[in-house]
Amino acid sequence: MNISCRNKNSRFRIVCTLIFSLGLCFDALAAEPELILVPAGTFTMGSERRAADERPMHKVYLDAYYIGKYEVTNAEYHEFWKIQSEGNTPDQIPQHTPENFLHLPHIGEWPARAERFPNHPVVGISWHDAAAYAAWKGMRLPTEAEWEKAARGYTNRIWPWGGAMEAHANTAEAKDGYENRIAPVGSFPKGKSYYGALDMAGNVWEWTADWYSDVYYAYSSQAAAKRPKKNPTGPVVGSWRVLRGGSWIDTLTRCSTTFRFYLYPNLKTAFVGFRLAKTAEKSEK
Amino acid sequence: MRNWLTIAMLLSLCAPALSIADTAPSDHSKYVQHVEQGFVLTFQGNNKEAISEFEAALAIAPEHAEILHYLGMAYAQEELLNKAVERYQRSLALMPDNIEALYSLGVAYFKLDKWAAAIAPLQRVVALDPQHARGYEMLGKSLVRLRRYAEAVPVLERALALKPHAAGTYYELGNAYLNLKEYPKAIENFKQAIAFGSARYADPHFGLGTAYLRLGDREKSRAEMQIFQQYQKEYAEYERLTRLTRNEPNNLEAWTGLASLLMQQKNYGRAVQVFQKCIELDPNNAIFYHGLSRAFMNLNYPRPAIEAANKAIRLMPNEAILYNTLGSLYAMQGDSRNAIVAFQKAIELNSEEPFYHLNLSRLYQGIGNQKLAQEHHRIYEYLMSKQK
Repeated sequence: MNISCRNKNSRFRIVCTLIFSLGLCFDALAAEPELILVPAGTFTMGSERRAADERPMHKVYLDAYYIGKYEVTNAEYHEFWKIQSEGNTPDQIPQHTPENFLHLPHIGEWPARAERFPNHPVVGISWHDAAAYAAWKGMRLPTEAEWEKAARGYTNRIWPWGGAMEAHANTAEAKDGYENRIAPVGSFPKGKSYYGALDMAGNVWEWTADWYSDVYYAYSSQAAAKRPKKNPTGPVVGSWRVLRGGSWIDTLTRCSTTFRFYLYPNLKTAFVGFRLAKTAEKSEK
Repeated sequence: MRNWLTIAMLLSLCAPALSIADTAPSDHSKYVQHVEQGFVLTFQGNNKEAISEFEAALAIAPEHAEILHYLGMAYAQEELLNKAVERYQRSLALMPDNIEALYSLGVAYFKLDKWAAAIAPLQRVVALDPQHARGYEMLGKSLVRLRRYAEAVPVLERALALKPHAAGTYYELGNAYLNLKEYPKAIENFKQAIAFGSARYADPHFGLGTAYLRLGDREKSRAEMQIFQQYQKEYAEYERLTRLTRNEPNNLEAWTGLASLLMQQKNYGRAVQVFQKCIELDPNNAIFYHGLSRAFMNLNYPRPAIEAANKAIRLMPNEAILYNTLGSLYAMQGDSRNAIVAFQKAIELNSEEPFYHLNLSRLYQGIGNQKLAQEHHRIYEYLMSKQK
């Protein structure tokens, strides 16, 4: 671009144009989320040999659905947040504002971090914030079963990429160029899951729709002993929501496709984000 | 002009960073920092420091039910149960129907032997969440301690309906039936506790021994009591070695003993950690790599198991059993070609071990080579008959 500048007015116009185009770039980063179609079918959920709450391994049938290829980014969430801010006075904190982490410069303050790190997964959001964003996009959070199927597919992969312990993920132990910090989404293409979703191990934990119960697999699979449990949505009540995938502060073991973690839904931490899901239309199944 | 724009752009990009650096942390940001650190330390198992962080967070914002609960759990992990109870109560005052905080309170009371106090929160847990297996289990255990056996039975049965393989619950149910003098039911439940429990679970054998004795079967009772004593001894040894390794972290002999005991007890997750410690202390010992490989194998982690087996082989290339382990691992992964090579090498080094031939026979069977499968099976049978 050849920019010439003859007077103050044109200088002003150029600056305005630049700011506008930066704005456009920023918005372009927040384009529609890329979704992956996970076809309908039965898969094996859980593991017999790891944590007790992963037992028993059991068959689950899921209708076709879409899952976000990436975790929701700062830029994407920023669009939603801007709408929440509309009409607010400057001293009003908009609903669903992410938490600030001033002690973690790689995350920092909201909304500045949306501009500084547009491609980083959004963190510091509660389960309610994540669910509200998903609803705003006309989507929802994945169920625990949907999350696990998207990560391991029809295989028994320990990690989304398979069984090899080399970390294709942003974890606490890996020397991956992102030590002690969050990585932009999609930084580990070799870590893609069976269906091609990225960062399903490490980077940030991901909220799922389900309440946590350590024995949900046991009693839901009993009920479905003769046929796979169909589209399970987790326990009816609970205190904690399930998180999946592990994060930048976790060991690789905690980033397996079956590892289950949980937090109070209104907590906003620097290691939890989310990805979107959507039920597929019948014609897409 | 271009320079001016570049500077403007750079400044605009740096602005957020500068604002962070220039801002003195507010109380809220200090609170956030303490909570974050608390979580990280909890994940690392460092409950002591996590307690300090959560306490510091709560000093800033005392009315946070969730953080009070996490703090209570960290205290409970450190066996500071009275402090845990106090934090749980404060959490519940803010969020009275918090199922998990109620459960934590019940567990803390139980561990403090305040079984009567545990009943109310645990009853509330199962009322709020009728599928809370841990709630039923802990409530049933509390009722057993309070000798309210008849009330304990349906509660424990409900726990088992939700969580069918819970050895501890079967054991408690066995105890309840034993005290209700329903010996056949007690025996049935103690047997289930043994079937589903960790290897060398001592207590149900004592229960079985008592039940058989009351039924007049002295022989069976004596046998069970002997097993109980043996497992108790092993447990004491486990405790001793654990204490020793804690007090003398470079005592390789103690670590080796502990690793071997953990493998016997099928506690493979912990065995991995202990073998890794052994390797740290003695990096050129093939036995430790082999142990690590076996532990990973039992945890169904074939890749790191193969890696450890290969390291063992590099250190001790003429040890047949190492190739047998390697072969089993390749077979686990469905890599028949490498598995056959490994088993053949094991046989080359020690052709008198029947199980190497059996493994090879099974592998040949799997790939449809009946001739070689039969040949190795014959050798296996021959060697077994020789051993007899």
